Amino acid sequence: MRARNLAEPFPTVSLDADAMAAARAMAAERLPGLIVCGDDGRPYTVLPGSQVLNFIIPKYVQDQPGLARAFDERASDELSTKLAHHTVRDMVPKAAEADELPVVDPDATAIEVAAVMARMHSPIAAVIDGDRVLGAITVSRLLTHFLP
Amino acid sequence: MTAAVVAVFVGAYILIATERIHRVAAALGGAALMVLLGVVDAHVAFFSDETGVDWNVIFLLLGMMVIVSVLKQTGVFDFLAIWAAKRVRGKPFALMVMLVCITAVASALLDNVTTVLLIAPVTLLVCDRLALPPVPFLIAEALASNIGGMATLVGDPPNIIIASRADLSFNDFLVNLAPLALICMVAFIGLCRIMFRSAFTYDEARAADVMELDEREVIRDGALLVRSLIVLAAVMVGFIAHSALHVEPSLVALLGAGALVAVSKLQPGEYLEEVEWPTLVFFMGLFIMVGALVEIGVIKTLGEAVTDAVGTRYFLASSILLWGSAVLSGIVDNIPYVATVSPLVQGLVDSGGDTPQANALWWALAAGADLGGNATAVGASANVVIIGIAARNGHPISFWQFTKYGLVVATVTIAIAWPYIWLRYYVGG
Repeated sequence: MRARNLAEPFPTVSLDADAMAAARAMAAERLPGLIVCGDDGRPYTVLPGSQVLNFIIPKYVQDQPGLARAFDERASDELSTKLAHHTVRDMVPKAAEADELPVVDPDATAIEVAAVMARMHSPIAAVIDGDRVLGAITVSRLLTHFLP
Repeated sequence: MTAAVVAVFVGAYILIATERIHRVAAALGGAALMVLLGVVDAHVAFFSDETGVDWNVIFLLLGMMVIVSVLKQTGVFDFLAIWAAKRVRGKPFALMVMLVCITAVASALLDNVTTVLLIAPVTLLVCDRLALPPVPFLIAEALASNIGGMATLVGDPPNIIIASRADLSFNDFLVNLAPLALICMVAFIGLCRIMFRSAFTYDEARAADVMELDEREVIRDGALLVRSLIVLAAVMVGFIAHSALHVEPSLVALLGAGALVAVSKLQPGEYLEEVEWPTLVFFMGLFIMVGALVEIGVIKTLGEAVTDAVGTRYFLASSILLWGSAVLSGIVDNIPYVATVSPLVQGLVDSGGDTPQANALWWALAAGADLGGNATAVGASANVVIIGIAARNGHPISFWQFTKYGLVVATVTIAIAWPYIWLRYYVGG
């Protein structure tokens, strides 16, 4: 099966979209990530849910996970307010890290798609035909195809 | 041959100081060239007391790094910082005093780089909760770690090198440098009040938030914490008694590390987590390079020249060593500096007949190198580490931002060390 057959419609967001709105969309629709389009409307990168968490959770907690226990409910709620007044641009990895995108062309085989996702630790791969986003392939969609 | 060896040494030193290539590559490259030049063989490099790798230094560092790896798993630093914040009811200046005191004491008992690595994350947490700017707190901790590290043999790597080269005991450091560290800390706290005054804004609601924190929550393994503290206390007793027991500090540290590993039941990946292998290898390369200078007689010639120049004017020599070491340690890493200068100081002390006045040169070197590390953002490893942590957490500290505080603290503390050395060894001695 080819990528065009595995692809499903998938929401895209722009780099200047509101970070809170993007995170809400991800949560409401249970999406593993979002396709981010650049200023020219072409896919820029994939924003995985883990990157949103990476933005919200302070680096010092990531460095010393034991500190997470010091956060009570109120402090935890305050963390999500970090998204306010930020855009998707602030959440995506720096340009240098985004040089290689989890993007496949419509004729890519399932194994090619899986290889891209595995190599880039991405929960989704965008299927791009020229400048047009055909959709995306999620891990669950791919596993459904692979598993007997 | 002598010119070639000196050229290799100077070249490697410049590469280490300018960081044009990684310092480990520079030290190992320099050591390899010494071998290729035929100055260093296996005996000279590995087995000679005068010219070889100082295994006491390497294994003392290794043992302490393993001890820290285990302590890190307990969450003790997180506990202490949150306890301190609650104890002072979130009052900013009092919090800074508590944090710098914890850092200074911990740096005296452990390695100062590791101390700031462990204290910085919880400092960021507390500052976040109190809506305080974390940068002044982080800079103050780096500065305190370098002052506190001066107090003991194990507190700062230059002290470990000096102790091994000069055959000085843990107690020698405690008796001679701990009082100076204490005086410097008192002055430093006064400086903090002035330098960081704009950071001390008190928010009652935020302070109430901090009082809600439960420090016991961050203790990851209470039983391991108790066992670790018992072993750490035993290690400290071992350090204090090592001269009487005729056991080298390196063996005390290794035995302590072994005991901690045994009682912790941690996996190798966990108890070796904080071992900085590049640092240990860097030390080895450095020792071989300095050993080559000793082997071809450069250090002896220089030592004789310095001894002739100094004569019996030991206070003048101490003053030059103190201020010169401070300036140089502010510019280049104090570890290679102390490794290179130690054989020269040894010559001076030996020619002085092991008197208190001559021995004071070691304390001038240690104080200059340790306190001078505060002068600039790159003067000590702890400074570099704290700047890295701050940047990763979205609070970049520029070179000059750090240096404008560091320079004041280094100058004031060295200015305190100078009369301390004069009064203690040349007036009262």
